[in-house]
Amino acid sequence: MSPAAATPALSLAGIEKRFPGVHALKDVSIDIMPGEVVGLIGENGAGKSTLMKILSGVYQPDGGEIRLGGQPTRFMNAADANLQGIGMVFQEQSLLTNLSVGENIYLGTEAAFTRFGMIDWKALNAAASRQLEKVEVDVDPRARTADLDFATRQMVELAKTLTLEDQAAGHLVILLDEPTSVLERAEIEILFSRVRALKSRASFIFVSHRLDEVLELSDRIYVMKDGAVVADLPAADANVTQLHQLMVGRSLQAEYYREGLQKPFQDEVVVEAEALSLGHDYRDVSFSLHAGEILGIAGVIGSGREELTRTLAGFAPHDRGKLRIGGKEVRFRTPAEAVDNGMGYIPRERRVEGLVLFLSVAANITLGNLRSLTRNGLIDNREERRLATRWVDRLNVKTPSIDALCLNLSGGNQQKVVLAKWLNAKAKVLILDHPTRGLDVGAKEEVYELVRAVTAEGVAVVLTSDTLEETIGLSHTVLVMRDGAITHRADARPGGKPTQVELIEHMV
Amino acid sequence: MRALIDSIGADRIRQYLPLATLVILVIAVGVAQPAFLEPATLLQLAADTAVLFILATGVTFVIMLGGIDLSLQSMASLASVIVALTITRLGYGAFVLAVAVGAIVGLLAGLAHVRLRIPSFIATLAMGGVLFSAALVISHEQSITLGEAERGYQTWITGSVAGVPSVVIVGLIVLVVAHILQSRTAFGRYSAAIGAGEPAAYASGVKVDRQKVIAYALSASFAALAGVILAGRLSSGSPTLAAELLLPSIAAVVVGGTAITGGVGSIWRTLVGALIISVVRIGMTFLGVNIFAQNIVFGAVLIIAVAITIDRSKIPIVK
Repeated sequence: MSPAAATPALSLAGIEKRFPGVHALKDVSIDIMPGEVVGLIGENGAGKSTLMKILSGVYQPDGGEIRLGGQPTRFMNAADANLQGIGMVFQEQSLLTNLSVGENIYLGTEAAFTRFGMIDWKALNAAASRQLEKVEVDVDPRARTADLDFATRQMVELAKTLTLEDQAAGHLVILLDEPTSVLERAEIEILFSRVRALKSRASFIFVSHRLDEVLELSDRIYVMKDGAVVADLPAADANVTQLHQLMVGRSLQAEYYREGLQKPFQDEVVVEAEALSLGHDYRDVSFSLHAGEILGIAGVIGSGREELTRTLAGFAPHDRGKLRIGGKEVRFRTPAEAVDNGMGYIPRERRVEGLVLFLSVAANITLGNLRSLTRNGLIDNREERRLATRWVDRLNVKTPSIDALCLNLSGGNQQKVVLAKWLNAKAKVLILDHPTRGLDVGAKEEVYELVRAVTAEGVAVVLTSDTLEETIGLSHTVLVMRDGAITHRADARPGGKPTQVELIEHMV
Repeated sequence: MRALIDSIGADRIRQYLPLATLVILVIAVGVAQPAFLEPATLLQLAADTAVLFILATGVTFVIMLGGIDLSLQSMASLASVIVALTITRLGYGAFVLAVAVGAIVGLLAGLAHVRLRIPSFIATLAMGGVLFSAALVISHEQSITLGEAERGYQTWITGSVAGVPSVVIVGLIVLVVAHILQSRTAFGRYSAAIGAGEPAAYASGVKVDRQKVIAYALSASFAALAGVILAGRLSSGSPTLAAELLLPSIAAVVVGGTAITGGVGSIWRTLVGALIISVVRIGMTFLGVNIFAQNIVFGAVLIIAVAITIDRSKIPIVK
């Protein structure tokens, strides 16, 4: 395909967007050819989200032009963008889990199947089946969406987006916003093969933090930094290191995971699991976690590693086997019991389970250990402020003040507040549940550095991560789980780290 | 950035709106009726507000952590009946008994809410029905007048100290105690955390269920105390004594600026809210509004107050 000869399916020319005090998009020009998959990358705050919101009609640009098939146009709102052939597949899935697959696919557009106010379910489900065939998913349209796994739901979402083919006049352009963040490797493969197969029907814009995936799927990659496009390069010519550099504007430190700071762990066993089991989720899990050790748990969805993490954090008590913390046998029925035993949970849902967004930074930091601040039943406010200030300084949390609401902090700084909460509570074990999800490269590095620092002081860490690379890079020991059981244990000392291939063998 | 500043500005305005409203209302009534601003009248206003304030303070604890208590008026009425029935035998013990029953009732409602996982409005609505019937049965569906002999036990309610009605002093004590509970103790902090983000509070090791049960026990205890005071002031106990007070109590909390969704609020705001409700009530009396029509106004005030205090940009869907 020669981009020079063809008319772009979608073209953005000199798009400008300002918010009071922020120049969010500066002269952004992007072309998407018919059938092309364009990768869009950049750190948090680079302007990707603003651009996506303009493309989906949520925001209006202040300047520049949007052209569809060569014709200037405007997207008045999301429905208008849809009608003009812009589809969206979101990171947080938009499907309603209590409805059937067919109902979801035609949600809001049931009118086409309605006669005298009654929906012709047969026709709707038949049409839904045809949509599902396009993405090669074998699901009964009458199935309840809640019964599907995440990967299948993502396909349903894609199928739903493809219904726009029947409504929109021109060529379809589908925005994929972090579609892989909830998927495991095998599921990502399926999604990618479907996207490739659908290129005849649509163009795609693929936004992701995972550069290897962007390289794998995209034909061309746009790199954004500080609201501007800083690079436009064919994926075939690019590599991860180079993209990293373009995104951050500096060369990525060779020591990304701070392996040089990885100290041997201590002899003291902090957590000991002996044939730990929970229903169908996991069984016979045994391990010893030492002070200062990072234990990475690798596995696909359904491997039981997420449930094991939740057990350690106190959300899902085990039903067989033994769990010992510091030699004492425990069974956590609530997170409060886990916290009382020195566990600190850093959840993947940072904004839901990690922080009380509408409380101040100080109140969040002390929330895990308020009792130690209480004198004669009253909170010692001065001591609270002193502690909060100390943690904010020590972890370099960027916040206007310790009284600022956590709502207003960036993702990386929010994660530091969560970490500060557990350090303040003197947690002996940190459970890091996808700790860098949604963070940009710079913020990730800061998190890695902090994790190294706390383990050097003897804190033990259980890690489940979004990428194998991160699991391997950070951990002292990697456990691989499959179908609820441990299939492999790998030593991961610096210089002797297992390869991804070695671990994947035991994962699938 | 301007949007940010605007939202901060709007928050600031929201914060001081109740106090400004109170001042304007007092001035307005004062202009129409200069006698209103005399110390004696203002003290009378404070005395008349005490019961409402104590009821509203109790339910503030529950609203702060995102719940609601719809049984408080029935609890208060039941407490008045308990006092009227037992004061001859128990003396001051009757007051203690009534408040103790309140604590137990709140405990049960709270346990039903957290253990059986019933929404709080259902648990307390049902509890309210139970309490109302209980009051009807034990009072034989009658208003019971307190005898002359028992009046002596009521001086802490009906008397005055250095010209200040005792009930105002009781109200001030409640204010201080409740304010410290809400703003300085771990319970108060946990309540705010639960109201603002229950999953995060839970994951942080907060014993959410326990805090909720405490809040319901406090709410019902305060309601019982309010019932006791009402019985003293009216020299009678009746199963319908406080029946009209649910709406004004919740309105007082919300008008004061405590978010009905929880997390944001204070006892001070509830005090301001209760005073606003009282001044509006007096204003309506001056204007000659039928006393039975007053809840029309309070209903409207409640809806308007919730509409103003909720920042809908943060809460797109309300159930």
